[in-house]
Amino acid sequence: MTQLKHILITLLVFTTGIVSGQVEFKANVSKTTLGINERLRIEFEMNKDGDNFNPPDFSDFNVIGPQQSVSNSWINGVRTFKKTYTYFLTPTKRGTFTIGQASITIDGQVYKTIPQKITVTAAVDKPSDPNDPNYVASENIHLVAEVSKTNPYLNEAITVVYKLYVSPRVQVDTWNEKDSPRYNDFWSQNIDTQNQRVQTETYNGETYRSLILRKTVLYPQKTGKLNIEPLVLDMALRVPTNRRDIFGNYLLTRVNRTIAAGNKTIDVKPLPEKGKPADFTGAVGDYSFDVSSTKNTLNAGESLQIKVEVKGNGNLKLFKLPKVSLPSSLEVYEPEHKENISTNLGGMSGNVSDTYTVVPQYKGKYPIPSISFSYFDLKSQTYKRLSSDEMVVDVKEGPLNNADAQAQNALNSGAKQPVMLNKDQFAFIKTKTNFVSNDAEPFFNTRLFWILLLLPFIAIPIAILIRRNKAIRDADVRGNKIRKADKLAKKYLSAAKKSLGKKEAFYIALEKAVHNYLKARIHIETSELSKDKISELLRERQVEPDVIKDFLSIIESCDLARYTPMTVVTMQEDYEKASKTISLIDKQAR
Amino acid sequence: MKKFLFYISILFSVHMMAQDNNTALFNEANDLYNKGKYAEAIDKYRTILDHNMHSSELYFNLANANYKLNNIAPSIYYYEKALQLDPDDKDIKNNLAFARNMTIDAIDSIPEVGLSKVVHNTTNLYTTDTWAYISVVAVICFVILFLIYHFSYETLRKRTTFILSLVAIGVAVISLSSAFYRHTLEKNNHPAIVFAKESKVKSEPNVRSEESFRLHEGTKLQVTDTIGNWSEIKLSDGKTGWISNQDIRMLKR
Repeated sequence: MTQLKHILITLLVFTTGIVSGQVEFKANVSKTTLGINERLRIEFEMNKDGDNFNPPDFSDFNVIGPQQSVSNSWINGVRTFKKTYTYFLTPTKRGTFTIGQASITIDGQVYKTIPQKITVTAAVDKPSDPNDPNYVASENIHLVAEVSKTNPYLNEAITVVYKLYVSPRVQVDTWNEKDSPRYNDFWSQNIDTQNQRVQTETYNGETYRSLILRKTVLYPQKTGKLNIEPLVLDMALRVPTNRRDIFGNYLLTRVNRTIAAGNKTIDVKPLPEKGKPADFTGAVGDYSFDVSSTKNTLNAGESLQIKVEVKGNGNLKLFKLPKVSLPSSLEVYEPEHKENISTNLGGMSGNVSDTYTVVPQYKGKYPIPSISFSYFDLKSQTYKRLSSDEMVVDVKEGPLNNADAQAQNALNSGAKQPVMLNKDQFAFIKTKTNFVSNDAEPFFNTRLFWILLLLPFIAIPIAILIRRNKAIRDADVRGNKIRKADKLAKKYLSAAKKSLGKKEAFYIALEKAVHNYLKARIHIETSELSKDKISELLRERQVEPDVIKDFLSIIESCDLARYTPMTVVTMQEDYEKASKTISLIDKQAR
Repeated sequence: MKKFLFYISILFSVHMMAQDNNTALFNEANDLYNKGKYAEAIDKYRTILDHNMHSSELYFNLANANYKLNNIAPSIYYYEKALQLDPDDKDIKNNLAFARNMTIDAIDSIPEVGLSKVVHNTTNLYTTDTWAYISVVAVICFVILFLIYHFSYETLRKRTTFILSLVAIGVAVISLSSAFYRHTLEKNNHPAIVFAKESKVKSEPNVRSEESFRLHEGTKLQVTDTIGNWSEIKLSDGKTGWISNQDIRMLKR
């Protein structure tokens, strides 16, 4: 458009005169800092036509040009003239360069421009040639991979969404996937993206048309830095050029372009070791756990189903359900595994369940032990354990789990119904008991046990010996009599012997002993006890007069002792005399 | 002397009071059991055990209450305890079979047959100590009868006492050998019950070693050796391994 204008204006300039004014001659650069792979435009502009234009030395640049343009305009009768020399410079090396002065002669006078300082830096990413169709395409089409979380836990769901942004300036003819990303070390599932509609969205501050190409849910299966491979698309595009058709519209060129969404690196955190339960099988998410049984009471031979179910959001397909451990006397079949899972951007949700079919064979109560299920809760970032309640399966009717009960059942089929004790009964508690000490010492093998066991055997020879001795003694009649008398005397005098030395007590005891002896031996009462009477009685029993005399003397000394002092020696003598006399009387008395 | 008698009588009366107290507790617990309050009944039964008194009936009732509450390991443990005191009780054996139905592990046991069964059943009639008392009494009877035989002159009396003394010495010998038999059996018998819900039996007495097999609550096993916190066990089908002491409870102290 402007080019056309320039041509028209130049034609006008040639047909009109020149209006003189203040002369201006200057140099304009498009940028003072540029990358080595970029281009620079420098314009030398003057407002009055001159001769002998002499450009500066562009020794550090490759030069394209000059292009010359002239403009002439009248506004309100005032003429404005402009003539421009344009050069395009491509730097050849890095550094700071000075573009020197250009000179021109106008009306016989030489004018010069001010030198310009240019800094050439390292290559910049995009050589920005705004007219290169590839560049235009790359500027107007973007393929972006959006990752929901770059620092997830192991087995935590993340999503990758591939979006294509197309600027309204370009048109997309076709595309096809050149390379589909493979998600190594991830469990992945694509979410259906059919029927996606083109939306208008703002990207980098500009309006774009956007289309979601692909949505994928990923569950990292390994810790550390994991790479998500890029999605590569081959696209056929139509890009506007700077040429126009006859109606002034831009002409479009066809461009084939391969675009890729950049590599993404995800840093996967391991699950914390601290507090990791022993029964953890890798479930990560938010779950509820339930164990249910179809029946709680049934008869043997019928079946029941036990269902172990985990519900919620998380890596439902990626862990094992806990096993039910059932009593050995139940017949259990392999569980039926069911999954009812839907996957959306939030990850998997739904439920997984194992259904066990159980057939009890025998009567009784069978507990289904509590089963626990552990998972890592992402919200609180802790491990959680859910436990089922313990259930009891009560088998009411059926055979008992032993052999003689079966024999009993066979007996029961007789015609007459005998009254039988039902042995298949759980016995009631016992109501009577005798408690014994819990910490009683064992008796067997103790010293006491051996003594008690062997002592009786020793008793046999001892008993036989004693018996033999007794027999010998029984045979000796005279000896027996003497022993008997001695025994009696000792018996009566024992009290006196104890108080030997104490005068009064001794004689009282001695007197008493003598009296007692007489009472026992000759049967006389204490009231009739006089010396005459005693001697008479003893004589009647044929006791020798000497002995009677001795006996009486003892009684006498007993009486005497109350009034006279006695020595220990006399007491001893009296005691011996008494014992001798008593035994003699005993022998002689009939 | 009087003081001594006094203390003896006091001690005796205290003992009698405690005995009465325990019997009262036992009856209360039985009432609670009959009303279905098994947990309370268990508490009462256990207080009797805390008084260091026991009986096979106490263990039996305690096991029954635990069975009603579906506590597998405790019920089997107390049935076994009851059987130790009364090895031939039908009710205990019957209910123990019920409790064993609840266990998870199936372990084959080798049944006893023939002479060894007869010997086993005979010696199982009484405990070691009872056999020991019987042998002592029998020896004393024998000595008395023998002496009577030796000293008496009547033919009839001599004959009967001679025969009776022979019987007595026979009883003494049998009971003494039974006591020895049971004593050696018990010396090598260290049964235990698995109390943990599930216990891993290792091939060596440490955590690192490989798992040999798993046992579940209520399984009876024999402890053959103990090292630190680990016990070497033998199952009735001959399998051996090491188990953590926390997971089992010995039936004998």
